Amino acid sequence: MTPLQSTPEWVATAPAIVLALTGLALLLIDTIDPDSTNNGLLAGTATLGALAAGGIAGWFLIGGTGMESTGGAISLYGDALVVDGMSLFFTLIFTSVAAMVSVASYDYLADQRYQGEFYALVLFAATGMTLMGMSNSLATVFVSLELASLPSYALVAFLKEDRGSIEAGLKYFLIGALSSAVFAFGISLVFAVTGSLVLPEIAASLAEGTELVGVLGLGVLMIAGGFAFKTASVPFHFWAPEAYEGAPAPVSAFLSSASKAAGFVVAFRVFTVAFPLGTVTSIGGGSVDWSLLFALLAVVTMTLGNFAAATQQNVKRMLAYSSIGHAGYALIGLAAITVDGGAANGDVLGASMAHLFVYGFMNTGAFLFIAMVEKWGLGRTFEDYNGIASKAPIAAAAMTVFMFSLAGLPPFGGFFSKYALFFSAIESGFWWLAAVGAVNSALSLFYYSRVVKAMWIEEPSANLEIGSQPVGMYVAIVFAAVGTVLLLPGSQPVIETAQTVAAALF
Amino acid sequence: MVPAQYYLVLSAAVFCIGIFGLLTRRNALLFLMSVELMLNAANINLVAFSYYWGNVTGQTFGLFTMALAAAEVAVGIGIILVLYRNFDGVDVTNATTMRW
Repeated sequence: MTPLQSTPEWVATAPAIVLALTGLALLLIDTIDPDSTNNGLLAGTATLGALAAGGIAGWFLIGGTGMESTGGAISLYGDALVVDGMSLFFTLIFTSVAAMVSVASYDYLADQRYQGEFYALVLFAATGMTLMGMSNSLATVFVSLELASLPSYALVAFLKEDRGSIEAGLKYFLIGALSSAVFAFGISLVFAVTGSLVLPEIAASLAEGTELVGVLGLGVLMIAGGFAFKTASVPFHFWAPEAYEGAPAPVSAFLSSASKAAGFVVAFRVFTVAFPLGTVTSIGGGSVDWSLLFALLAVVTMTLGNFAAATQQNVKRMLAYSSIGHAGYALIGLAAITVDGGAANGDVLGASMAHLFVYGFMNTGAFLFIAMVEKWGLGRTFEDYNGIASKAPIAAAAMTVFMFSLAGLPPFGGFFSKYALFFSAIESGFWWLAAVGAVNSALSLFYYSRVVKAMWIEEPSANLEIGSQPVGMYVAIVFAAVGTVLLLPGSQPVIETAQTVAAALF
Repeated sequence: MVPAQYYLVLSAAVFCIGIFGLLTRRNALLFLMSVELMLNAANINLVAFSYYWGNVTGQTFGLFTMALAAAEVAVGIGIILVLYRNFDGVDVTNATTMRW
């Protein structure tokens, strides 16, 4: 049965509505009895809400809501929001990451205050990300981007007594405020040129040509800057190592997986719908060629991320830089779009989406393992990880899966999505992007395997003691590991779905 | 009537003042004010070109921008408050426990 054939159209936004209502419910639960906090109830509600939203998105995706088979994308509220395959696909990423983070936070927050607020902020940020996926107007893009960002600032600075967390929150907030101001100015310049904020109308107005090519180019550049912040790509990447290192580890997991994917989904939609490459390259002698811009950013981002990661002594910071490197890989999806690419454009964009999907599992899992190590009170450097496998073999095995999958080794999900990405980039004629990506992947194996070596091969230091066995974190980590492994046989459907929904954009 | 292009010059000037303040001030509160200037530069464009194009889209979005700027300041002040408690001041260059 196809969902939503006889229901009102706004029901298509159900995943976002469920997330927002769960966030409000969490605040309500927390308010009923302010003197005591039931951590288990809060974490359970947050996880169930995220899973329910994800389940609805998955059901819509399978049923074909907003896709070709059921009459195309559903646009709501005067085209301000649009529900299509891509928005549902990304909703699945956001909700699964939010669910894993909520489960793991049950242990991480056990002796913290303000637990209700923490889960509510996670859910509100996830609502904002889901809306980012649906945004079809620069106005909703900006509002939903802020809805995702503002809770994130508070989450990073959540440990109010911890100087690292405060510093991370401050830097994240300052650079975030700067980039959102730049983004807003970019929107105002595009509005000045086209007289509209709705993405398809902008494209229609640009198709008639404009004299203000310089203003348009500056506007597009500034909008790209806003996305570079959200996805932690060069040149707005420098907040990421600080914010991920200082933030509570579950928040780092949430930001580096879900928030990054949210930045990409909105960039994909804005650049393919509002500024189609064929249109913008035909005005002003091709000076607004954003594909070239993203190709440069992709190369610089992945090279910088991987080289910086290779020099780190701190595992969490290494993962932060590796997350920048992965943003570089995902940027290939935009960089390899060509004017007359046809189906190849959908393929490369879809491969990039599939990589973000797999990345959502493996990277969240890796940061949650770090959360567990923090919970055990071990240090943060590679040496502190020596011999963990002898004390906690299951968690160490899961971490090994994440590390090898992030590096793109064959038996794990990360291999297939990376392979599809590089392969479709070559098909679009960008063999050099694929080559740079492959070299960087090979380099990344060096620093990922250092973690594995420390855990399994190095002798544990004499006083290695791990305390409790946090159940929630184990559940989340094992879930992420199973997801990463299952995405090996499941990679074909995921990549095909992603490429189908991406092709609908062109 | 003032030509629409002049508003672009005005907004670019306000935006650049904001950037200048942001790069030269070490006080977190002045940083917030600079960001506010940059957002208001966007508002000048939005309102001026809303008039130029003869629709109210830009003016409406200008109201959205103001509301979001207020929300951003509310979160920002909270972070600056804990910064003050932990680092004894609102100088953004003091917070350097992690190396760059």
